[in-house]
Amino acid sequence: MPEWLNQRWVIVPLAMLTAVLAWNGYVAVNSGGKVEGQVVDAGGRPVADATVILLDRHFVMHNERQRTQTDSSGHFQFTGNDNHSLQLEAEAAGLGRSERRLVRLWFRAQNVRLAEPLQFAGRLP
Amino acid sequence: MLLPFYWVFKTAVSNENIYAYPPRLLPESPHLFNFVDVWYFIPFPRYLLNSLIVSALVVVCNLAFNAMAAYALSKSFPGRRAVLLLFLSCMLIPFQATIIPAYLITSKLGLLNSYLGLALPLLSTIVCIFVFKAAFEAVPQSLIDAARIDGLANRHIILRVLMPLSKAAIATNIVLAFIWSWNAFLWPLIITRDPNMQTLPLGLARFLSYLEDTTGALYAFAAMVLAPSIFVFLMAQKEFIRGLTSGATKG
Repeated sequence: MPEWLNQRWVIVPLAMLTAVLAWNGYVAVNSGGKVEGQVVDAGGRPVADATVILLDRHFVMHNERQRTQTDSSGHFQFTGNDNHSLQLEAEAAGLGRSERRLVRLWFRAQNVRLAEPLQFAGRLP
Repeated sequence: MLLPFYWVFKTAVSNENIYAYPPRLLPESPHLFNFVDVWYFIPFPRYLLNSLIVSALVVVCNLAFNAMAAYALSKSFPGRRAVLLLFLSCMLIPFQATIIPAYLITSKLGLLNSYLGLALPLLSTIVCIFVFKAAFEAVPQSLIDAARIDGLANRHIILRVLMPLSKAAIATNIVLAFIWSWNAFLWPLIITRDPNMQTLPLGLARFLSYLEDTTGALYAFAAMVLAPSIFVFLMAQKEFIRGLTSGATKG
């Protein structure tokens, strides 16, 4: 290795540059703005045709941005999210509203799948 | 000594109120999302870029101008003592006292709201001139005489003989100039009109006005502003200490 390369003033900035490039590559690949998840009742059964509301954060407020319906297996998907701090909430006839879930992302428009489903307090008949 | 830094970082990775009693030593459920909030809530990358450009300009000009001034002051010439006394007495005047004339001069030069205008008052600093002067005076005169006999001009003597032998002084100049320009608040506040020309300390004030109760995000911002200057200091620590203490034991 050349001597000029083996100096902390070269090695550390190069390592930082590599980390920044790697991070930006990761962001470019994973920033589709897709938010996915599932809605279940208190017993863990999927809730079809529930309305899921996506709210995104603007400084101190969360404002409603999109709505979608769950499919027969209780899954939902939003596209085109461009925020980094979201809240998700579901509502369905007879079940009321689910808890409002805060979803924080590492970067804007990060593709995310909820690890835990949105859950209603009530049970499906 | 590291406790304040730890406290800033601890608060940045948690959302604890700093006035909570009893204070916790370890953060409760730490996370890094406050840093993400800071990055996106205000144009942080833009402020970072502005601060980096201004600091780079200040560091480069300090190295060039201070080295030239120090080389001149390390030689004998009529009035040298008076110039040294003038420089020392100028150090007694606080920047706040000269800010109006500095603003008027910058305005006349048409440099308001520009990177050069932001960097202007720090392009050369007297303390750093004296750091270079002490380093240059430590170089044997015979070496400079030999370089002159070999036909080197003054600028080449500075560049090729004195600077390579004054690495500690260079590091001290880099660290001090960087930290002073990085932390500058009053001057950028006065001469910038365009929000896109603001630097990080101004961004911190703006952020505070937006999110005054968000302690975690505020401390995350403070940590992100501090990080580059701490990084530069740690990188140049050895040379910095050597540069400040060189010549200190002279009789």
